[in-house]
Amino acid sequence: MTQAEIKLCSLLLQEHFGEIVEKIGVHLIRTGSQPLRVIAHDTGTSLDQVKKALCVLVQHNLVSYQVHKRGVVEYEAQCSRVLRMLRYPRYIYTTKTLYSDTGELIVEELLLNGKLTMSAVVKKVADRLTETMEDGKTMDYAEVSNTFVRLADTHFVQRCPSVPTTENSDPGPPPPAPTLVINEKDMYLVPKLSLIGKGKRRRSSDEDAAGEPKAKRPKYTTDNKEIFRSLPVGYNISKQVLDQYLTLLADDPLEFVGKSGDSGGGMYVINLHKALASLATATLESVVQERFGSRCARIFRLVLQKKHIEQKQVEDFAMIPAKEAKDMLYKMLSENFMSLQEIPKTPDHAPSRTFYLYTVNILSAARMLLHRCYKSIANLIERRQFETKENKRLLEKSQRVEAIIASMQATGAEEAQLQEIEEMITAPERQQLETLKRNVNKLDASEIQVDETIFLLESYIECTMKRQ
Amino acid sequence: MPHIEAQQRAVAINRLLSMGQLDLLRSNTGLLYRIKDSQNAGKMKGSDNQEKLVYQIIEDAGNKGIWSRDIRYKSNLPLTEINKILKNLESKKLIKAVKSVAASKKKVYMLYNLQPDRSVTGGAWYSDQDFESEFVEVLNQQCFKFLQSKAETARESKQNPMIQRNSSFASSHEVWKYICELGISKVELSMEDIETILNTLIYDGKVEMTIIAAKEGTVGSVDGHMKLYRAVNPIIPPTGLVRAPCGLCPVFDDCHEGGEISPSNCIYMTEWLEF
Repeated sequence: MTQAEIKLCSLLLQEHFGEIVEKIGVHLIRTGSQPLRVIAHDTGTSLDQVKKALCVLVQHNLVSYQVHKRGVVEYEAQCSRVLRMLRYPRYIYTTKTLYSDTGELIVEELLLNGKLTMSAVVKKVADRLTETMEDGKTMDYAEVSNTFVRLADTHFVQRCPSVPTTENSDPGPPPPAPTLVINEKDMYLVPKLSLIGKGKRRRSSDEDAAGEPKAKRPKYTTDNKEIFRSLPVGYNISKQVLDQYLTLLADDPLEFVGKSGDSGGGMYVINLHKALASLATATLESVVQERFGSRCARIFRLVLQKKHIEQKQVEDFAMIPAKEAKDMLYKMLSENFMSLQEIPKTPDHAPSRTFYLYTVNILSAARMLLHRCYKSIANLIERRQFETKENKRLLEKSQRVEAIIASMQATGAEEAQLQEIEEMITAPERQQLETLKRNVNKLDASEIQVDETIFLLESYIECTMKRQ
Repeated sequence: MPHIEAQQRAVAINRLLSMGQLDLLRSNTGLLYRIKDSQNAGKMKGSDNQEKLVYQIIEDAGNKGIWSRDIRYKSNLPLTEINKILKNLESKKLIKAVKSVAASKKKVYMLYNLQPDRSVTGGAWYSDQDFESEFVEVLNQQCFKFLQSKAETARESKQNPMIQRNSSFASSHEVWKYICELGISKVELSMEDIETILNTLIYDGKVEMTIIAAKEGTVGSVDGHMKLYRAVNPIIPPTGLVRAPCGLCPVFDDCHEGGEISPSNCIYMTEWLEF
């Protein structure tokens, strides 16, 4: 765990759960697997508090426990799960687009509570929906359960494993009842698939019986007829046009879709690894372009395409004057986007008689960029907290005023009195509040955007590591 | 000339050589003599043997020219002599010096009326040893606009997707013809030149290329295949990291909480928030 990741985890834990949980969580991330007493001793907190903190963390699937030899139970935190907390808003949004408000509320409840039983979720969501609906109507429990079952089918929610009650040698916490938890890995597959692919996804989810997270599967083949059958009705695409689209997709130089045979009118495959590689490369290129300029981006893409290239050839191919090309190459080299490969002509490696070739190693560049992303998000969160702290006095005042107004409205006060109270907040102060709100929103939105980059890069790195 | 004795022949030939009327050449079978045409003979009248030797060496170098050090090796003359002779010849307008584009300090000498070879001057992209970057930029943009408009018309025609894609392609020959007709270039551009420009567009990520097999004889095909180019959209918009100030920050590595540069007092963030 790098420093940047640990810092980010600590900020997230603090924001969502408070100081004590943060202390315990960060300690576990830093030191790995530890038993209860050692945690209490090292962090200097009372056993009671440690237990409560661990409870919270386990409930939210951030810490797992295991029984080791001699019957000691050790707790281990998973840094990657903590970092997923950044993505919660995106999960909720995705569910909202696919399953409308009911789905959104279900996912929100589950994310807030970590784990819940199905009946508890359904009850809570139905009650919340009833509140917001018109008077006299109530939300049907069956409808909520229906949505819940659909979510479970498409692996948005997943059942927790339950500890068997017959296990008496387990001195750990008592066995949890069958509860449900969000299966996070699947959530992010949905935004990536194209419009045609939506049909495909539903078909393949029926085939996928084992509940294996889809991100792990390298490709799945579907044939022409299945695709045609599973297209949403409103599209109005005839069979020939569909054929042509599929051929175009398969021929595209980006190679997202491949054709693997002709049985059944053509078998098509999605090359997830290639797709991820292209997306990661595009991310790298975009970063180079924004940071160094479009000429640098040209050189970068050139080196990517040619794999290994000499400095003189860079000038020739990219049609950029020699001095500028040299400058840009060195800048990118110093920022670790590129690396040099030496090929000596003579056994004594003399610099004047060696070839120096520039090359881009996508995996290492992706890792470097990922690290930068983590630090950026940590910076953004810190700035947001700083801005809020700066204006704390103002925020408290506005909260008090709102509370007074609300209570006066409840007791039926006059217009004039309400006006007076509102004027307690002067115009410039109101302005300040507005700016503060806007800034905080902007910082929040920016965090989510950087998280998108993190998602791409992480998926690419994971996919490449699995293949090796 | 069988009726003149060999001895006399030799004397005559030697005299003609010294007067500069004959050229001495060597071939497989022996020595050959060639009469110089009168113009050339007149030119060299005032020069002596050494100059003639140097001139011959430069002439042999053809349109690639020859470096002064190489002249010295070939003629075995000392450097000062060489320089004097070269100055002489230049003033008589018999040779000229051309700066090489590869090594800007090197000067190559060639005959006055010869066109320097492409490798020395750099071809169409260089004018007087200077790389014409604006010219390249203008060509770049023009080619891209042409391909973009082609893709637009193809998309708007609303025919089935296969035809749409195929009609948005343009072969390198078409682009070349378009650029020639535009007439923005004073220098004559060949199809290879246009292809190098189109390659830079590929490296800009704005254009993609495919190669198809074409029958020999179809317009624009080279060795049985044709290159087709098409304007494309980028696959992702500018990524999330660069939308935050941290992605572009030059002092990123120095920034940490509690230091001189920290997120709380970051000026880039302040500017960005006010935007």
